[in-house]
Amino acid sequence: MPVCNFFLQGRCRYGEKCWNEHPRGGRGGDFRGNQQPSRGGFGNRVWINPSQRTSGDYIQPSSFSHSGNNDWSRGGGGGGGGGGGTSQDIKSSDFSFSSQNRFSALSSHSHSDKGGQNTADDNAKHVDTIQKDMEIWQTSGQWPFSCYSALNGQISGFVELSPEELRLEYYTGQASGDLQTYMNSVQQLANQWRSRVQELRTMSSSTQISVISELNNPSSSTSTQGFVSTSSGFSSTASGFGNTSSSSSGIGVGGFVSSAPQSSSSFSFASSKAVFGESNTQQAPGAFAQPSSGFAASAPSVASFSFAPQATENKASAAAFNSASAFSFKSSSGGLGTGFSSSAPTNSGFNQSSAFASSAFSGATDASHSAGSLFSAQSDLTADELKEFTAKRFTLGQIPLKPPPAELLTV
Amino acid sequence: MSLFGTNTGFGSGGTGVFGTTTTDSHNPMKDVEVTSPPDDSISCLAFSPPTMPGNFLIGGSWANDVRCWEVQDNGQTVPKAQQMHTGPVLDVCWSDDGSKVFTASCDKTAKMWDLNSNQTIQIAQHEGPIRTIHWIKAPNYSCVMTGSWDKTLKFWDTRSPNPMMSLQMPERCYCADVVYPMAVVATAERGLIVYQLENQPSEFRRIESPLKHQHRCVAIFKDKQSKPTGFALGSIEGRVAIHYINPPNPAKDNFTFKCHRSNGTNTATPQDIYAVNAISFHPVHGTLATVGSDGRFSFWDKDARTKLKTSEQLDQPITACCFNNNGNIFAYASSYDWSKGHEYYNPQKKNYIFLRNAAEELKPRNKK
Repeated sequence: MPVCNFFLQGRCRYGEKCWNEHPRGGRGGDFRGNQQPSRGGFGNRVWINPSQRTSGDYIQPSSFSHSGNNDWSRGGGGGGGGGGGTSQDIKSSDFSFSSQNRFSALSSHSHSDKGGQNTADDNAKHVDTIQKDMEIWQTSGQWPFSCYSALNGQISGFVELSPEELRLEYYTGQASGDLQTYMNSVQQLANQWRSRVQELRTMSSSTQISVISELNNPSSSTSTQGFVSTSSGFSSTASGFGNTSSSSSGIGVGGFVSSAPQSSSSFSFASSKAVFGESNTQQAPGAFAQPSSGFAASAPSVASFSFAPQATENKASAAAFNSASAFSFKSSSGGLGTGFSSSAPTNSGFNQSSAFASSAFSGATDASHSAGSLFSAQSDLTADELKEFTAKRFTLGQIPLKPPPAELLTV
Repeated sequence: MSLFGTNTGFGSGGTGVFGTTTTDSHNPMKDVEVTSPPDDSISCLAFSPPTMPGNFLIGGSWANDVRCWEVQDNGQTVPKAQQMHTGPVLDVCWSDDGSKVFTASCDKTAKMWDLNSNQTIQIAQHEGPIRTIHWIKAPNYSCVMTGSWDKTLKFWDTRSPNPMMSLQMPERCYCADVVYPMAVVATAERGLIVYQLENQPSEFRRIESPLKHQHRCVAIFKDKQSKPTGFALGSIEGRVAIHYINPPNPAKDNFTFKCHRSNGTNTATPQDIYAVNAISFHPVHGTLATVGSDGRFSFWDKDARTKLKTSEQLDQPITACCFNNNGNIFAYASSYDWSKGHEYYNPQKKNYIFLRNAAEELKPRNKK
């Protein structure tokens, strides 16, 4: 008799009646009490065992595993509604291998440690989970400006903003008489969210690759720190576009740029115009060294870099405006398309198969000497950068951050 | 003890301002309404500690004010005093002796309000709005803990303008709770840190979040010996995680449950999922209450893993809740929480605070 796969995962519905074989000893998986010290990158990165410990008796040196996310299965006397029921996901995937049982990887003892797991299976499951979650997120009307994590770690491309932060922005905008900035930025964030969710839901092959690489390589994931509060600044992120990007970055406007190398850092909002640049980190996250950039604070001149004037919508995000989302963040003004990096010189960078698209060129650091200038003088560039610009193609990992000198552009 | 069983002073439905007594859905549970509620959304509620006789309720709101009501045994609420900040008030808490109230605001300051003299002084300053404020009473020190969107957690002796201690957090503080000797802070980007407060506050453990989405509220629960043993964490995705710090069997003991969703068992149509705005534990029974953006509150027994009750739906989200010190009164605030953005904000809409008799409904289901 063939061996029952569900039994091996500990979840065969038929039990003794099953027509397939339930090998004894091959089944490890019913209890989930694995003492896995951490689950995935996020846990590893921030696990701290403090060296000093006092004698409060709830503090014990044992670590504990986090795998106990059992859904609350049965509300005994409770009414219907939220408390009970298995998750929607499980229903549809009862018979599929790419199941919603997030712990099948942990629970089957036939593979002694995760290293022995078939990672392709894992990835398929993760991808499936992500897709389903995105679908739920789109249709449920839940708060869009939230981070999201799949089993292993956080998926990039989502801005994390609490309702209170957004509300505070509204109130300060109202007090200063300028609600338009708020509206614009909310619109922009909403668009970005929609496109990102749609991208993850449809999960084209390139998205899949980038998501999987992100999950397996958590150090490369970028966390978008959405907000730095000032009296008037409002953060926004520009997302990657279309199907090729997996992370988003943003632009810091004067004073706020805390650019952490890999992570797109906080950004604040230019006062009247939205300025976007973005870079994409794909499989080779190291390629784009500095996704974020600093700009001089004076807003309108910053717009010299913007290539997304209010009018243009980019095709990718237009496609992403599906009405599936029950969430209405209506646009009052013409929406700002999510930043679309058709930077001045060439458009040919958008190559779905190749890993990157032309990235944000803007002036690199906080010192921001490229305050408002679109091109840099040739004398400003280092020899390496000049070499890159004069070469036929950029070398991954050495793409200059400063804009190219005007002289080198051949149109 | 307190006679909140029947509505005495306040009728159901109409507030008395309007003549009609239609049961509009602003108070479908027919609970007692607090008089003179704030003019804008209520962000936080706190009842006075047991060291003080009587029940006093403090509520902070987005109208920059903090109000104090006395809640009498017959159900009447009497507005007592009010103080202002220069920005919306996000959190309030009482000192352990009940003489002072601490308020935290978006104006980046926290103030100490002496109720006897009705004076306030500023006791804290941050670089960003202060999101949480808690009073810590340890055997060898007392201080105020403030968590802010500037990613720091600071501890203040109220007599000094400089913090006693400042701890860096990975991200903006979104919610926190303190039950000595434990403090839990949940930050943006699913950060979750537990601090231990003996001798001096220090980071105890960073925990990988059991939830997939943004953290919204957290509340510590205690074990049978009244020691803090874990916390409940709510997210924007209609889900609460119950997490023990050192459980004997983490896989079995820690769990999450879904709440504040529509369409309970009908999976044909997509569910509406609402954020859990606040969680409070009953001080006596250990059962918990959650309030959500769907305008409902629910009571749960986490040990029996059952739901005890869900309310009717109010016409506005419920933004804050708290129990009084003996667990007889459950206060919840009905006001807009910005969960659907600015389009759904109506500044003219009245905000409410309701009081409910909590003695019976929160009894645990099965005594194990």
